[in-house]
Amino acid sequence: MTADSYAAAAGLVERSAAAYVSGVPDSPADDGFFGPGSVTWRVSTDLARPVAGLRALLMQALHPLAMAGVDQHSGWRQDPVGRLAATSAYLATISFGDRAAAERAAARVRRIHEHVSGVDAITGSPYQASDPALLLWVHVALVESSIEAGRLFGTPVSAEDGDRYVAEMVVAAELVGVPRDQVPSSLAALGGYIASARPELRCTPAASESMAYLLDPPGLADDLAEIWADVRDGAVAALPAWAREMYGYSLPEPLTPARQTEIRQALGVLDAVFLGEPGVLEARQRITLRMRAARRG
Amino acid sequence: MRRILAGAAIAGALAAAVAAMLRWRLGPLRTRRGVAAVKLAVRGGVRYAGSAPRLFAAAGENRERLRNDLALQTAEDIADTLGAMKGVLMKLGQMASYLDDGLSPAVRRTLSRLQDSVPPMSAELAAGVVTEELGLPPERAFARWDPAPIAAASIGQVHRAITHDGRAVAVKVQYPGIAESMAADLDNVALLRRMLRVTAPSQDVDALVTELRDRVLEELDYHREAENQRLFAAYYDGHPTIHVPAILGELSARRVVTSELAGGARFAELASWPQEERNLAAETIYRFVFRSLYDAHAFNGDPHPGNYLFHGGGRVTFLDFGLVKHFTDVELQPLIAMVRNLCVENDPGAFRRAMEDAGFLMRGAPLSTEVVVDHMAVFYQLVRESAPLTITGDYASTVVRRFFDLRSPVAAYVAIPRSYVILQRINLGLFALLGELNATANWRAVAEEIWPFVRGPAATPMGEAEAAWRATRPAAMRQAAGPPVRPARG
Repeated sequence: MTADSYAAAAGLVERSAAAYVSGVPDSPADDGFFGPGSVTWRVSTDLARPVAGLRALLMQALHPLAMAGVDQHSGWRQDPVGRLAATSAYLATISFGDRAAAERAAARVRRIHEHVSGVDAITGSPYQASDPALLLWVHVALVESSIEAGRLFGTPVSAEDGDRYVAEMVVAAELVGVPRDQVPSSLAALGGYIASARPELRCTPAASESMAYLLDPPGLADDLAEIWADVRDGAVAALPAWAREMYGYSLPEPLTPARQTEIRQALGVLDAVFLGEPGVLEARQRITLRMRAARRG
Repeated sequence: MRRILAGAAIAGALAAAVAAMLRWRLGPLRTRRGVAAVKLAVRGGVRYAGSAPRLFAAAGENRERLRNDLALQTAEDIADTLGAMKGVLMKLGQMASYLDDGLSPAVRRTLSRLQDSVPPMSAELAAGVVTEELGLPPERAFARWDPAPIAAASIGQVHRAITHDGRAVAVKVQYPGIAESMAADLDNVALLRRMLRVTAPSQDVDALVTELRDRVLEELDYHREAENQRLFAAYYDGHPTIHVPAILGELSARRVVTSELAGGARFAELASWPQEERNLAAETIYRFVFRSLYDAHAFNGDPHPGNYLFHGGGRVTFLDFGLVKHFTDVELQPLIAMVRNLCVENDPGAFRRAMEDAGFLMRGAPLSTEVVVDHMAVFYQLVRESAPLTITGDYASTVVRRFFDLRSPVAAYVAIPRSYVILQRINLGLFALLGELNATANWRAVAEEIWPFVRGPAATPMGEAEAAWRATRPAAMRQAAGPPVRPARG
């Protein structure tokens, strides 16, 4: 299989937007697992979110068994955009939905994971998608990527808020089935976990192909492709050097303050495009109103 | 589907507008990449505008409360809303919003609402800016201060107030932090330069980026705007139909500009006025544009429909002097030579030479003079014959399309030198505006009154009133004698 066997990425923005909108409730029964005063809401509405998402995928894919599960089961190659949209919808529901909606979404994911198992062709290891070790890697990669992307291209969180965010997000890991005591709950623990997981990581052909696809998705409109190139550069630059080395990526260009600004500006344009999709602005406004209300106390 | 097509149409128009504003030598293939970036930028801006009012509409009677709850309360809110290129996108959308390149009225309305998609500042945030700029909170700087804004302005909003000596005024207050963030967006290369990183020699690109930057940065400095408005107000003082609200200098600063409050009908209301009234309004706008150019050597580059208030009988109040271009004699002479040689002297060869002198046409381009004249004539059609002529929407579109027609054999050899970028902008905006009014006049006869090389007799009753006004003016205000004041560039 080569990267050519993936379906085109047309509709990336439209479908991600629709997925996002579907996860932001009109009239939630409660504030969900985080709430409008949480650091999680702030991080989840950050301009750098697309870089965070792409960097998270790049990190997650380095776990051979996590990657194998996605590659062999999820319809990833047939409909990568649909798979990404489903993840976006899930994350929006977990973050902004009420508790019942979040629990329903998590139960659905756990059910799907029960049926995902196999043997990774490269390492020869058996895997189970419901394995807490895999789920934890996926979780940690997202949390750490959100902090890193925000630090470089969005609104950085303070060390204190970073700790709060990591702690808040523990529940997200629990929702998909990771025992609470296994989940890092501070920045230091997060870093420690990543260091300890590194020996298991490697860039399999499935990871390499999948990520090559994501970094340069075929079928994007020209204009969007240009903006995506900046998002990609941002995500690659935000990776730890060892992860870039595993993929064999070179640093696109030094991440000077000017280049950071350029990437931020591209993210601003992408955000404007995203906001123009049906329902996105309204969803944002719902979130803003709730965050404002929380700020007023 | 309609939405997609409309979006594509706007994207095309705005891409073309920006391409022209930031004119490089257009090779259709080579610019594709740059234009694509602009299209995306525009698509973003347009969709942003298009979807923005929906929540408000859906909210019905809660609309005001909701708008209030969404009000921008902190500098961070403003950065989130207008930072990272979004303010610049809106500015570009605004610049193009009067262009009619086959746009439906609905799409044009959407574009002109672009600014409305940004929530207003909260009363506290606006008051904070006034306090910082004037040294007093608004309720002390003014005898009365209305904390609810009456209008959105470019990168700011307008409040009503009454001064301590009893004058009703409009106070434009800029979003805090926006000047810095837009300056950074314009300054830090990125998208703008990528649009331009086409094929032109880099110094050309730099010059064009600089021109766009300078003009937008000037708009961010309300000192500059106040200075320009003062200049126009002084020039048109006592004019029978042109009114420019006076500036109150002591209540103006970098991010606050206070001017006399003007009432009047909005452009949209003009549609329901009798054609006679619309013709008179159009004649006043036409006179304003070309008197300003030929006599005051200044050009207000923002022919946005929102910048006019109409009072009937052709009387028009002109608002918003944020984007004014001042011309030197040297810059103006080629324009005069072009119109003179084409329309008065009927000397196509001299017309072509004037175009070349101005840098509009490459010297030695392998084109016959007939082809050049044929391409350019549409821009002068209004003033080639002395006869009543109606500017239809179709005509306005034709002009705009011709301007942006990359397939024309002439396109490869024409360029807009930096000094004239703004001029083109208002020229096209003016056509679009007059086209929307479906205005009829003997434009040639009016132009002859104004052309310094003709100084023809009054062609209309308005012309007679204007001539009487001019007779009362000091000589320096009457002759094409260099700009009265050239504000220091900053």
